[in-house]
Amino acid sequence: MQMSQSTLFSTCIFVLLVALTFATFSIGEAGMAGKSTMLILLAIAMIKSQMVAHYFMSLHQTRPLWRLIMLIYFVIVGGLIAVAYLIGLA
Amino acid sequence: MQTTNMISVKESSLEKIEYQNLPGDFALWIFIFAEMLVFGVLFIAYAFSRAQNVALFNDSQLTLNRGFGAINTVILITSSYFVVRGVAAIKKDLKHQCAYWLSGALVLGSVFVGIKMVEFYEKFNAGISMSTNNFYMFYLSLTFFHLMHVLMGMVILATIIARTRRGAYSAKQHTGVETGASFWHMVDFLWIILFPLVYVIR
Repeated sequence: MQMSQSTLFSTCIFVLLVALTFATFSIGEAGMAGKSTMLILLAIAMIKSQMVAHYFMSLHQTRPLWRLIMLIYFVIVGGLIAVAYLIGLA
Repeated sequence: MQTTNMISVKESSLEKIEYQNLPGDFALWIFIFAEMLVFGVLFIAYAFSRAQNVALFNDSQLTLNRGFGAINTVILITSSYFVVRGVAAIKKDLKHQCAYWLSGALVLGSVFVGIKMVEFYEKFNAGISMSTNNFYMFYLSLTFFHLMHVLMGMVILATIIARTRRGAYSAKQHTGVETGASFWHMVDFLWIILFPLVYVIR
């Protein structure tokens, strides 16, 4: 059975999400910590969430306003979590 | 002449942009944004609470089963993908295929719940509760609150599957499927943030 282009695209997104989850898990298993590790892990989490919202929830086909709301959410939540971790490291 | 051509090119490119409405029922999107806000505040509260006592949070985090957390992340991502395939199927009027994909997502949801139960059992068996310390208070309340959303999502999916099998949805009318799908994806991306925050980042 031949996959349609949109199905193939969502399958690629799915594979990428699983790969990024494996990367997150591996970083944790390696016992990596510190400022740059925290920022990388947070960035991965926010990119993954944005991918789910954008492509799985089909927000990429909606008005820019909805995508902007979602982006602002991830930037604020991710940004404040990063600030709190930086305070902890200090 | 050239200006006229440029204008017509611009007009044709403007015509191509055709935005769609938010998928599913708009009322559910209000609920989704409200839930995102609540979880967002809880995530930030966890991070700032951790900043007050980094050593305690780091030590307590080591007692968590990171493998369970990662497996549950893959399970939710896979179930979300199944839901995407289900929505794509109903858009092509493939009702049986839609029901199969959504059933797959529902089964994966049950596996997620099962793993979470084992995790909670292990913690309660070790004498850990919400009053043990601040980390466990956040860990248990965040994951339990999220679990409630998974269960709610499963009830929604089960209802949609039953309705799809009865022929309630079609290529022209599938708002219900899209509404349930949007809720399930929200449950997924909230866990995607929760997993590294509570289980990995230190």
